[in-house]
Amino acid sequence: MRAYIARRVLLLGPVLLGVSIVVFMVLHLSPGDPAEIMLGSQATQEDLERLRRELGLTEPLHVQYLRWMGHVLRGDLGRSLWMKRPVLDEVLHRFQATLVLTGSSLLLSTLGGLALGIASAVRPHSLLDRLSAVTSLFGASMPVFWLGIVLMVVFSLWLGWLPASGMWAPYGGGDLRALAAHLVLPAVTLAAASMTIIARLTRSTMLDVLGQDYIRTARAKGLIEGRVVVRHGLKNALIPIVTVVGVQAGYLLGGAVLTETVFAWPGVGLLMVQGILARDFPLVQGCVLVIALTFVLINLAVDLLYVYLDPRIHYE
Amino acid sequence: MTLRHALPSIIALTMALGLWAAPIAAQPAGTLVVGLVAEPVNLDPPQVTDLNSNRVGRRVVETLVTFPEESTQVVPGLAESWTISKDGLQYTFKLRRGITFHDGTPLNAEAVKFSIERQINPNHPAYKLGKYPFANFFFGNVKAVEVLSEERVAFLLNEPRASFLSILTAGAASIVSPTAVMKWGPDYPTHPVGTGPFRFASWDRGQRVVLEKNPTYWKYPVKVERVIYRPIVEDQARLTELLTGTLDVIVGVPADFVSQLEQNAKITLLKQVGAHVWYLGMNNQKKPFDDKRVRQALNYAVNKDAIVKDVLKGTGAASRGPVLPGTWGADPALKAYPYDPERAKKLLAEAGYPNGFSTTLWVPESGSGMQAPVAMSTVMQSNLKAVGVNVSLQIMEWGAYLAKLRTKEQELFALSWMAGTEDPDMVMYPLLHSSQWTPVGPNRALYKNARFDALLQQARLTTDQAKRAQLYKEAQRILVDDAPWVFVDHEIQIAALSKRVQGFKLHPSFDLRVETISLK
Repeated sequence: MRAYIARRVLLLGPVLLGVSIVVFMVLHLSPGDPAEIMLGSQATQEDLERLRRELGLTEPLHVQYLRWMGHVLRGDLGRSLWMKRPVLDEVLHRFQATLVLTGSSLLLSTLGGLALGIASAVRPHSLLDRLSAVTSLFGASMPVFWLGIVLMVVFSLWLGWLPASGMWAPYGGGDLRALAAHLVLPAVTLAAASMTIIARLTRSTMLDVLGQDYIRTARAKGLIEGRVVVRHGLKNALIPIVTVVGVQAGYLLGGAVLTETVFAWPGVGLLMVQGILARDFPLVQGCVLVIALTFVLINLAVDLLYVYLDPRIHYE
Repeated sequence: MTLRHALPSIIALTMALGLWAAPIAAQPAGTLVVGLVAEPVNLDPPQVTDLNSNRVGRRVVETLVTFPEESTQVVPGLAESWTISKDGLQYTFKLRRGITFHDGTPLNAEAVKFSIERQINPNHPAYKLGKYPFANFFFGNVKAVEVLSEERVAFLLNEPRASFLSILTAGAASIVSPTAVMKWGPDYPTHPVGTGPFRFASWDRGQRVVLEKNPTYWKYPVKVERVIYRPIVEDQARLTELLTGTLDVIVGVPADFVSQLEQNAKITLLKQVGAHVWYLGMNNQKKPFDDKRVRQALNYAVNKDAIVKDVLKGTGAASRGPVLPGTWGADPALKAYPYDPERAKKLLAEAGYPNGFSTTLWVPESGSGMQAPVAMSTVMQSNLKAVGVNVSLQIMEWGAYLAKLRTKEQELFALSWMAGTEDPDMVMYPLLHSSQWTPVGPNRALYKNARFDALLQQARLTTDQAKRAQLYKEAQRILVDDAPWVFVDHEIQIAALSKRVQGFKLHPSFDLRVETISLK
């Protein structure tokens, strides 16, 4: 088991290397470079050439990449071309906000999805089940930005219950209550689609499990229904659900880009979008590396969770 | 407990959390909160290439000469007076006495020299500390900056240029504290120090930039204690924050929200035409646009008033040329092209295209100063179709679009220009003089007219503003007749304010001068 974890961690290196090369190529093959975008429509040839030289864009691609990689190996992600600030510092700072948002969305979608799914499975075709089916269809087909704006108009503009944007109190500082108030709308928006997917999957898996012989046996033994559903039903239904929750974690990191934009959440997603538009290669690389690393670690965690959930699984 | 019962508990828990997480209290007195459409990138104006950074950064630093409220005529700033040598090659400024930077460094001729030379002199100790994208655009003509005494400083030019004072109003000409630049090095853009009405206080990245009032500001006492700038990209979020009272000022109000806000009693709406022009460029060297009649036909075919009214919903004023109407260089008698599709068809037939032709229009999906490029281009596409010109739209991302425009393969293209000043030299010369053909400069329509070129050059060498105005008026008449572009609109900036904001005016340079505000 330990050897397995060590192997997986070692594989991180090649994965991140691959990701960084792909991102580098995509950014450099798309037309328009950082100097062009900085100077905009006022660019003169002379300013453009000088800026390109100063930004190191005139060198061959592999030289640019290797120089960057050399810095990365020494723990320096470089300076943003566009903001002039050190990338590592900026990305880590922003990533905290993204973690808070995606973490709470994941919690919300998992708990909500499980609850809805189990409730539907225990009483299939009940009113609650039908309601959940309709909401799921709605939740899965609504674009994040649309849902976000609708929630904002209803809960901030009309009802005035919740703040419309930002993370902390608008005047600086603010306690956990301010954070919680600002978190509600973006977290619900981001969680909606994942919650419905988890709910539908939980329902179908649970229906399958609840029809098994051992469930009948458990009931025949006289166990109370709650125990039958949770201990005997849910635990056996969890493997596919955990897989999907893992996938959803990745989806939420991606969805955070839009949610952060709508709610002015100061996370890494919004930063990355701005970086891409400015072709700010060191900044985008920094964001992507952090997100890729998180994604790989989540996958590892999911794989390890399998062992706990199903003793028949073990890694060599 | 069954899990069915858990569901109500979860809902109850969420609601309890919602109640505990109370909404935010009202604004502290003396604090002004401004909503920006994007986060400032850095706060050192000579290193800035975007509007939002300048709107914040220019509260901290100032320039030798500046603009008064509501106009872009040049008036004294940090310099109380200046003289221009007869040959137009030396500009000598006398600095105001007793002004200090926010860090206590005195404002003197050395600081002025430092501020400009760090951008243009590769041997300057601060040259390598930053990147100055527009150094050549603004100061390419500056040979040297000389310190004559503690308060007298001279700019020596390579060749005379009458718009040099206008250049010195630009963000790139900001006078910064040399002590602070050397102290912070490459991190100076996040720790700016100037002489302005506000001093930099803090920056919570992604959330807010905070400026505090400069209690010893030389010009007048600043009435606001603090200004907080919050970047809110989404239009609806910015609007909601304004309507719920957590923002005091927003700019860049989307056209679709204007009529809604006009009827709202809690909000004041301000409008101001900006020193900006939006145009449909034609490649003057490429068939069929090398024929003046075709270019004129397109000007008659496009319904500018409909674009301004229906697409821009009052956030643009129809344009007759590149110069801002109502300023000294503009010709009030300039001929306009009315919407006249019949006339357009006739001109096309005369030019040998009785059945029209097909062409391509390149459009960026968004971009600085581009207003609503796709919607505006779509209207023009249908206008042109009505006179037999079949236009296919090619929509591109801004960076890709700019790169493509240097290929000279464009036929029609949508572009805009924010001069930041009313001096015609800062608009007409870069955009239309033949020495500025892309890729060397920004003349992407590849327009060339010898008489027009000569007039612009002569106006550069003339210091008398009345004489310059005559030269520019003649140049504009040539330009309108040659019609190298379809002249579309000048952007009308819109700001929405809460009622507690008093004394604010929008500025035609697109600057956001919150220092004039007092709060009720």
